Amino acid sequence: MTAIENLDSRFREAGALVVSRHDFKRDGLVLSATIPAGILTKLARGLKDDGYALLDLSVLEAKEGFLVTYHFDSFREPGRLALRVLATEEMPEVPSLYGIFEGAEWHERESADFYGLIFFGNPNPVPLILPADFDGPPPLRKDPKDLAALSALGLFGQADVLDPSWEALVNPPAPDKPGAGDGAGA
Amino acid sequence: MSGLNFINPFGVREDPGTFTGDFYTENFSRKAKPGTVILNLGPQHPSTHGVLRIVVELDGEYVIRAEPVLGYLHRMHEKMGEVKTPWQFIPNMGRVDYLHPIAWNWAYVGAVERLGGIEVPERAEYLRVISCELNRIASHLMWWGAFVMDLGGVTPILYAFEEREKINDILQIVTGSRLTLSYFRFGGVSTDVDERFLRLTKEFVPYLRERLKMYKALVTDNIILRRRLEGVGPMGVDICQRYGATGPILRAAGVASDTRRDIPYGIYKKFDFDIPSGPTNDSFGRYLVRLAEVEESLTIVEQAIKELPAGAIRIDKAPKANYKLPAGETYFAVEGARGQVGCHLVSDGGTRPYRIKLRAPGFSNLSLFAEAAKGTLLADAIAILGSLDLVIPEVDR
Repeated sequence: MTAIENLDSRFREAGALVVSRHDFKRDGLVLSATIPAGILTKLARGLKDDGYALLDLSVLEAKEGFLVTYHFDSFREPGRLALRVLATEEMPEVPSLYGIFEGAEWHERESADFYGLIFFGNPNPVPLILPADFDGPPPLRKDPKDLAALSALGLFGQADVLDPSWEALVNPPAPDKPGAGDGAGA
Repeated sequence: MSGLNFINPFGVREDPGTFTGDFYTENFSRKAKPGTVILNLGPQHPSTHGVLRIVVELDGEYVIRAEPVLGYLHRMHEKMGEVKTPWQFIPNMGRVDYLHPIAWNWAYVGAVERLGGIEVPERAEYLRVISCELNRIASHLMWWGAFVMDLGGVTPILYAFEEREKINDILQIVTGSRLTLSYFRFGGVSTDVDERFLRLTKEFVPYLRERLKMYKALVTDNIILRRRLEGVGPMGVDICQRYGATGPILRAAGVASDTRRDIPYGIYKKFDFDIPSGPTNDSFGRYLVRLAEVEESLTIVEQAIKELPAGAIRIDKAPKANYKLPAGETYFAVEGARGQVGCHLVSDGGTRPYRIKLRAPGFSNLSLFAEAAKGTLLADAIAILGSLDLVIPEVDR
């Protein structure tokens, strides 16, 4: 557990926005950190030095934008971690992790295909799964009316919100103001 | 067609500005050195699997660069997962990896169960293990036959098919199908096993053990096979870490990492089995690891059949068709024949999952091929490719 505590404090010191502990039996994660895009490569490099591998990259489209989740696991001390970066419609850009984990190239190209995100620094930014002449909209993009808020998706486990601007995204005000949500109810 | 430059039939570019073939060949050719040959292996080629396509740049017989081109079997399972209810999506899981569909059944059903807090009766847990391990053996046998065929030995695949047919006969009793198996249900499995299933499985375990001895004498100890594989395509822990390779590739690199042991799911904790790893990280090492895994899977099946408890195969309050997944996120991983299969599931509390991300081990395993093949003979590159054990619908999803 000390390894996880070390990572936890490292994420905080580096400037994470939200750090969450998770119940592995329910979330399949031990620790997750939502971070600004600027510190992604630095943290990923640290994880690599600690023996973690990038296992996959999962993008989640929500009202606030695209939550790009990188799942890491260690071959020596298994315990899945997630680093999350929020990219927005206006700024659909995330730095590439290719320089640290070469396997990121394909994961990023796949996410670029499906969501139209841009991973700057990817050495071969051409379509991977979709045909090169595919001209439809990115196929996993949702209809705007189907988008959920990040807070409605239960992503943050036992969250410690370090950046005040994320407080409203992680712990939105109690639903005593019915005008705020789209009123779908339970 | 006046704008088209002449390309000679061997793909040798007349000058660096001339391209041949489609977008991917052109894109790949841009970095080519003068005088080299650009060759497309696949998407329909006997030396590649399924519809895998690899563009290679050759200098004589040596591979200078290689680049896999994906997407020929892409079906957008992840989108289907968002528009179908959890029940409707189960059959998709039989179609992602046609050689080890039970592992994918487990990844998805396990993710839904974990998010929904759904219990599984003990008998069903045993049946899950038995079916998953039998399926793993069938997958490894299929790989073994196809791999040896890649290397020029056509006979062994006929033996492999004989055993595989026996497993298909067994799994057909409970799943009704022989290829795209959908056996798992939320809170259990679809069908209970009968006397015939148990008898055939009990007979199969000692039978395959005997056959494995023959495999060793006929193929594993064959000097030609060894010369083709030993020292070819070494992959250490470092390359596995950089590309996220798991499964037999990682274990041949000396790391006894197996999701069944590292992140126990189901009732794997109850069984006594080894995680084969090492001793060499070349193509032959990966060959040996898979054959050793067949024996371990047999051990697990034997124990599970012996200890199979009586009881229900599905919980009474199993989710119905209108089941609403609680809002939340989970990640469930299982050990497939090719490595860690993962399902990242996010729900907003509706009848359909909000997002499903499927982690295919073959995707990460194939991504290291370009680096591993660099500088090898073309024939060795084919051996390396075969040693990765690829299933293309899984890579493309």
